Amino acid sequence: MELKIEAAAKGIKYKKNKEDRINIFITVLVILGAMLVLFPIFWMIRTSFMTNLEINTYPPALFPKKWLFSNYPEAMKTFKFLLYLKNTLSIVIPAIVGVIVTSCFAAYAFARLDFKFKSFWFSLVIGSMLMPGAITIIPIFIMWSKLGFTNSYVPLIVPAFLGGGAFNIFLIRQFMMTIPKELDEAATIDGAGHLQIIFGILLPLLKPVLISVGLFTFILYWNDLLGPVIYVNDQDKQTISQGLATFKGGFGTNWKSLMAASCLASVPAVILYLFGQKYFIEGIVLTGLKS
Amino acid sequence: MRITKSHKDNIVAYLCLSPAILGLLFLTIIPIIGVIGISFTNWSGLAEPTFVRFDNYVNIFTEDFFFYKSALVTVYFAFGAVITSIIYAFFISIMLNQRIPARGIIRSIYFIPYIIPVVATNVVWSWLYDCNFGAFNFVINSLGFDKSLFLQGEKTVVPSLILIAVWSTGNLIVIFLAGIQNVPRAYLEAVEIDGGNTWHKFRHVTVPMMTPIIFFNFLMSMINNLQVFVPAQALTKGGPNDSSLFLVYLIYREGFMKNNFGYACAISLVFFVFIAALTGFIFKTSDKWLFYEGK
Repeated sequence: MELKIEAAAKGIKYKKNKEDRINIFITVLVILGAMLVLFPIFWMIRTSFMTNLEINTYPPALFPKKWLFSNYPEAMKTFKFLLYLKNTLSIVIPAIVGVIVTSCFAAYAFARLDFKFKSFWFSLVIGSMLMPGAITIIPIFIMWSKLGFTNSYVPLIVPAFLGGGAFNIFLIRQFMMTIPKELDEAATIDGAGHLQIIFGILLPLLKPVLISVGLFTFILYWNDLLGPVIYVNDQDKQTISQGLATFKGGFGTNWKSLMAASCLASVPAVILYLFGQKYFIEGIVLTGLKS
Repeated sequence: MRITKSHKDNIVAYLCLSPAILGLLFLTIIPIIGVIGISFTNWSGLAEPTFVRFDNYVNIFTEDFFFYKSALVTVYFAFGAVITSIIYAFFISIMLNQRIPARGIIRSIYFIPYIIPVVATNVVWSWLYDCNFGAFNFVINSLGFDKSLFLQGEKTVVPSLILIAVWSTGNLIVIFLAGIQNVPRAYLEAVEIDGGNTWHKFRHVTVPMMTPIIFFNFLMSMINNLQVFVPAQALTKGGPNDSSLFLVYLIYREGFMKNNFGYACAISLVFFVFIAALTGFIFKTSDKWLFYEGK
């Protein structure tokens, strides 16, 4: 009997050891991978502080001899970071509001209400996720130019208020389904209307998924290049992505300035991510992506 | 009483859905009809459009060398980027789900490329790829190989751009990680009780349970990557020798730089039909390898 227990304990111990070894192996692999992943970012930062002479020496140095902060003001003479930041935010902020409000409304209808043709609309909305948006740029451009909105941000912002994206609606709906319906019912008995239920009860509970949706939307708009190059012509109205692409077009291989500009373009997004990351995965995990 | 309540529910529901329905109507359905209509004209956006029947389509398939090359490099890029990044993201997220030290920080590191704006990513990589002073050619050279042309080589430009796309695919990792959390612990323990090891758990529980998410990621990133635009606009301008002339860039060039609205719409429609057919095909084959719980 005792022998058996000992043998079993040994077996468990052996298995434990083996699992530990696998874990160590994975840890080493993952850390090496992380270093490779970080390398381009490190190279961007390191180059942004170098002189052109240093950049073009062979073999390349890992770190600049002297950290040249003056590259940044120099780059900002042509890459008008603060102006671009203001422009981009004046698109991104309304867009996030639009996406969150309209996709919450749609998700509420799908998660909480019974209505005619519900499954038809649901499959149509979810199906539109598969729609490649770049196909229709020309008729949509013609529509906006007939309405007189070219060279403005209207064509970039308004779509956010028209549905807010099928994926976001789906995420929020899934998350809403996990919230007990009794909460709404109790509120209804207390005399709350639909708006009060959405904004007073559901919205606070949806915080993790709304942060994810907000972050996805931010990245989507921050990255967008096709929209701005079609609709924004004025130099002074350009967005960050557009400004950087223009800068790259004009200054081809002035790498120190290009890297300084790239660093600047990345900073706001990284800061926002660091604030939101706690909720980032949670927001998606809890929705249960199944079905 | 019941009827009025459900009647009221109907009104509220359609009010809630009205933005989404307007969006479907004005940003999807009407524009698609527009694409079809414009594609049969020679409209330049200025003069009145003339009906030219199938001329644009005949041009695409018989005279335009750009279109074939463009379709080819787009499909090459999309398949390369999707397959590579799905494999990469899947294995990374499996590993990031193990009990490793400082897991939160390491996870964040793998997401950071996704946070860096795509244009900045492309600019940074074009510096790494620089033929003379780029870091990659330094490494290649030190290892004793010949320098690569990367973005300036006809054969190397698409693989180079695929590598950039794979590097920045943090969103796939996030969705995979979320999916792994939903793999029921009980199933994994059942394998353990039956004497299965880590490989068995991976092969017979994790992978089958993840197939719906692999399918979702595959489909969505296929549709996204087929619409690749940023690298062509910001780095290569479609070159060298049209080797990165992706379809959306071609549509943009024809439509907005040459003002051939009619022709650009015809290309758009052909592209749309191709994507729809591919999507249908992917859905059809999915029965064979998709695993749904309770099936």
